Amino acid sequence: MNVFSGHISDIQISKNLSMVSVQIDERIELKTILVETPNTASYLKKGSAVDVLFKETEVIISKGDPSFISIQNKIPAVIKKCDSGVLLSKILLNTAIGDIVAIVTTEILNALVLKENEEVIVMIKANEIMLSK
Amino acid sequence: MIDWAPIILTTKLALVTTIVLLIISIPLAYWLAYSKSRIKPIVETLVSMPLVLPPTVLGFYLLMAFSPGNSFGSWLQDVFGIRLIFSFSGLVIGSVIYSLPFMVGPIQSGLSGLPNSLQEASYVLGKSKLKTLFSVLLPNIKPSLLTGLVLAFAHTVGEFGVVLMIGGNIPEKTKVVSIAIYDEVEALNYSNANMYSLLLFIITFIILLFVYLINGGYLKRFWK
Amino acid sequence: MIKATIHKALNTAVGSMKLNVQLSIESGQLVTLYGPSGVGKTSILRIIAGLLSADSGQIEVDGVFWLDHEKKIDFSPQQRKIGYVFQDYALFPNMTVRENLEFALEKGQDKNIIEELISIVALDELQNRKPNTLSGGQQQRVALARALVRKPKVLLLDEPLSALDIKMRSKLQDYILKVHREYKLTTILVSHDIGEIIKMSDKVYCLEDGKVTKVGDSLSVFTDNRLSGKFQFTGEVINIESEDVVFIVTVLIGNNVVRVIAQESEIVDLAIGDKVIVASKAFNPVLLKV
Repeated sequence: MNVFSGHISDIQISKNLSMVSVQIDERIELKTILVETPNTASYLKKGSAVDVLFKETEVIISKGDPSFISIQNKIPAVIKKCDSGVLLSKILLNTAIGDIVAIVTTEILNALVLKENEEVIVMIKANEIMLSK
Repeated sequence: MIDWAPIILTTKLALVTTIVLLIISIPLAYWLAYSKSRIKPIVETLVSMPLVLPPTVLGFYLLMAFSPGNSFGSWLQDVFGIRLIFSFSGLVIGSVIYSLPFMVGPIQSGLSGLPNSLQEASYVLGKSKLKTLFSVLLPNIKPSLLTGLVLAFAHTVGEFGVVLMIGGNIPEKTKVVSIAIYDEVEALNYSNANMYSLLLFIITFIILLFVYLINGGYLKRFWK
Repeated sequence: MIKATIHKALNTAVGSMKLNVQLSIESGQLVTLYGPSGVGKTSILRIIAGLLSADSGQIEVDGVFWLDHEKKIDFSPQQRKIGYVFQDYALFPNMTVRENLEFALEKGQDKNIIEELISIVALDELQNRKPNTLSGGQQQRVALARALVRKPKVLLLDEPLSALDIKMRSKLQDYILKVHREYKLTTILVSHDIGEIIKMSDKVYCLEDGKVTKVGDSLSVFTDNRLSGKFQFTGEVINIESEDVVFIVTVLIGNNVVRVIAQESEIVDLAIGDKVIVASKAFNPVLLKV
């Protein structure tokens, strides 16, 4: 599991759903959508410290310009290490907020020719991020 | 031909003694099983004394106590007109004390062997201690009750010393089988002594066998 | 509403311990006492039931004092009108299932309750059997039904399910929840099983050394970090397998087995038998009508 600490910078609410922005460092903000509101979860307050959690298998990697992809969270990264298995591979990525681990199929790793030291964009869908207090 | 009176008397004595014992042993065993009183060890010791004491010791003290020459004996005679010495009632009292551990012991260990939760379950269901004793505790220690009943009965049948000391040897009043045997031997009537002895042997054998069959579950299995 | 303050010095296997607890339970709640063995959970139940006397304290149930040490009020177990399910069930071996239930009837009470309870806990076919011919789960159901005959307002359950296998346990949890709701009971449960507690209870008291260390709704008490995942279950790890660059962790949730992909960093302090929370976002699961 990838875990980062940050502070809630913004909450937008509609009925039972909330879109929560979490500032990890000055430049990078991750957004998540939750079936919770400040009424049901006390930690949903602007400024409160939370952990952001997402699974390695939900991390998407793009080599080119990702501007036209419908994914909310995008973070520039550099590949530090690739660990290939038979079907799955683990990719360690260095970003401004720390290391992120991604798990992708070995087939796509080979097809995209992802190599160490290559610059890529890491993407995580808003609905894949969990918050933890 | 032997005289049947001692046999009838023995049976009567054993029956009366067993019934009296059952009535006094249930509360006594209940108290011994559940009480945390400090005098409990003393009571327990007293109840068990007849197990180790020579019956003649017990008989001697009872004789002393009941004798009209003594204050207790004369008080009994003056106030109630009861003379316990050399009488059937005296024999019953002596036998009850003498066989007490054989009735109290099994009932007490039966009660102690039941899980406490049975009693507690009955209490939280709103039932009184008395109702719990008769509806829950006693029905679940039937083997112990049976053992107590039979041991007390058989033990009374076989007693000699206590009976001789308190009861003496009055035909049809206090002359039980064990004394009759002694009498016959003294008179050198070995064949009569043998008849009495054989009868006692067979009766006690049958009674004890009956207990072991029932408590061992043999009968139940046999009927199925 | 039950309010209780209990003080009692207990002698346990490991030495003496002071029981010092305060409980406050709303009517209709199902509350669990949780903690390692020997912290005084059973003693609390026994004191509430009147089977064990407290050194001092008060027990107030719906405005009536069952125990008030200062005013020398101390109701007997018979007067307290509670349902109590013992750890060893405590069924009367000399009575059939039906007789066990009938024994609990109060004088002049309507006998229909017996039929009702027998059908609620599905004992119809077993009603003329003796308890020692029944399985653990069946005995448990009899004990539960018997505890409810007097229509108590308070039900006390002392680790009722600890001796049962997982499948039986989940079925009995459902029976307990059913009667808890149907008879509008206030229930106090002693349990070790976190999954069971999260499934059943509204509130949990965590006990340690005779004292309450934590109180709250079960989910927040057992999940130290509050997690926003809406798809959460508590289960037990039954297998961990390495698979390529990941691990597959098999978790038993109730009587369902699920498998979760995990990273090496997640399994380092995970062992078979550990209790875990399996969580996912509400967005991921798909629903299929069966």
